[in-house]
Amino acid sequence: MALPLSYNWRNLFVRRTTTALTILVIAAVVGVLSWMLGFWTALSGSLSFAQDQHKLIVLRQASTSETNSAIPPEESNKLSQLDREVALDPTSGQPLKSPEMIVQVSLPRMSDGGRTRANVAVRGLTDDGFKVHRNVRIIEGRAFQQGQLEVIVGESISRQFIGLKMGDTLDLGYSGNRGYKIVGVFSAGGAPMESEVWGPLTTLMNAYQRNAYSSVVLRLDDKFNAADVIRKVEGPTIQLTAQTEAQYWDAQAKNVRTYLFIVSGLVGVMCVAAAFSIANTMYSSVAARSREFAMLRTIGFSGRAIMVSIMIEAVFLSVIGGLLGCAGAYIYLQIMGRTKDMFGASTFTTMAFEISMTPMIVVYSLGAVTLVGLLGALTPGIRAAKIRVVEALREA
Amino acid sequence: MSSADIEIKKLKKVYYKDKMEIPVLAGLDLSISAGEFVALMGPSGSGKSTLLHLIGGLDTATAGSVRVGESLLETMSEAQLTSWRSRHVGFIFQMYHLVPVLTAAQNVELPLLLFKMKSSERKERVKTALTIVGLGDRMDHRPNQLSGGQEQRVAIARAIVTDPDVILADEPTGDLDAKTSEEILNLLNLLNEEFGKTILMVTHDPKAAAHAKKTVHLEKGQLEREEFSNRQPMAAAR
Repeated sequence: MALPLSYNWRNLFVRRTTTALTILVIAAVVGVLSWMLGFWTALSGSLSFAQDQHKLIVLRQASTSETNSAIPPEESNKLSQLDREVALDPTSGQPLKSPEMIVQVSLPRMSDGGRTRANVAVRGLTDDGFKVHRNVRIIEGRAFQQGQLEVIVGESISRQFIGLKMGDTLDLGYSGNRGYKIVGVFSAGGAPMESEVWGPLTTLMNAYQRNAYSSVVLRLDDKFNAADVIRKVEGPTIQLTAQTEAQYWDAQAKNVRTYLFIVSGLVGVMCVAAAFSIANTMYSSVAARSREFAMLRTIGFSGRAIMVSIMIEAVFLSVIGGLLGCAGAYIYLQIMGRTKDMFGASTFTTMAFEISMTPMIVVYSLGAVTLVGLLGALTPGIRAAKIRVVEALREA
Repeated sequence: MSSADIEIKKLKKVYYKDKMEIPVLAGLDLSISAGEFVALMGPSGSGKSTLLHLIGGLDTATAGSVRVGESLLETMSEAQLTSWRSRHVGFIFQMYHLVPVLTAAQNVELPLLLFKMKSSERKERVKTALTIVGLGDRMDHRPNQLSGGQEQRVAIARAIVTDPDVILADEPTGDLDAKTSEEILNLLNLLNEEFGKTILMVTHDPKAAAHAKKTVHLEKGQLEREEFSNRQPMAAAR
């Protein structure tokens, strides 16, 4: 039979300063941990929406992103060799190919009132682009018209940058002196494309004096395997390179993965520090209560019951610290803004996503810190359980 | 109400310190009848507390035998002794050893948590035990809100709440003034005479020992002599 929980709870407040400091350490660890988990969840969520295995992004040979790729129209014609593998447009009966051009523009961030700027991708594409990028839909306004100075903006980016609302005018072009009216907002189901501005291909190519596409995006027929088609694209007759959408965005997230890997290491070190802090608190508690434990053993409580009791106190500490940490991270996100941007590894453009403190993140964070608490309390718990009753009772 | 006799045969206890043998009990024989109130006296180091610990199953003998009621302690494992203590022995310490963060009632309730018992029954037993020791109106007080005498009464209530066969008291009045000591000793007499408890009390104080029916004097781990008191039972005294 275990000791009553009220016993464990009240014991936390006997050594208030030590308890408060330990809770503070745990709260700091959980704050960073939950923020990091939120970041991971948001990033993974965004990338998980770009997992189309039948959308192929064709680039110039040796290019790693659309930004450093250039496919002249005559080279793109070689892709007609893939007409058997590419899906057909049900209305026109033509293969679904979307030649696209991408440039970056620097725009003011909304989060700091426009003091800093970040690169945003502007994509030029034909009407076929909407058929190739199936998950894109207009959620406000309408699509741009070819030949017009009109653009549409991604849902995510419209919330993150100044001047990207419906009806605003965006200056684009080589010298940035042509105003493009924002006529619509589009959603891409959370995929990274929501962080882009889209406009008419030919108009934008002229504006940026481009004579080559950045990429050609193909929609494959479901019957064909992407890997086989990629081999054909990279073969001697076409001599371009290709990646599925999933592969492409996975590579772009490399920077953030490295960053999060470093943060994870830091959180790991903090967890060890928290475990030591809990161990220290519980050790001093055990040392001060040796006669109390001896009395409990005398009246019939087992060593295991006392060890469990110490563990429960550590779990209380961990959960209080954990809840404070989660609350701190939540407040931080509310004040500093939940939208975060990621710099593409080789696109040099921004991908925006929202960090949320989901119940799952709270559960994971509390679970992790509870484990840390239990580990920290293990040795003090064993020490309390193995107390020498007669000697402890004789202590003055 | 339950009670048990105690039979000690050729009991030896040797402690080791830095490979040195320190004999504390040297083949002690002692019999205590059920319902007897015995005081254990003797100079420091004579083995009084060690004997108490061995009878209470807190320590194991080097040789010899301790039987409490039907239980032969040397045949029991540590886990069995722990469980046995919770059912058969009530301990009272000089320093009370109450849990400071719990109320008087919660302190008294602690031993009952080891039994399968409804909460309502536990509460009832706690109330009865605290009423017997005269603290029915201090149930929700924490130890730091009680006097030394009251703390010892709570400790006594904790010792009797499980209705043990034997009460072992190690200098129960050692930290109390004369008046409070008298009250505590009268309480022990009450438990012995009205509830029939076998009580073994270690003390240095002859006035405290005078409350017992028998006083056992130890010297160098051996039984020196036994004295019987002509003390009148409390009911007769009243």
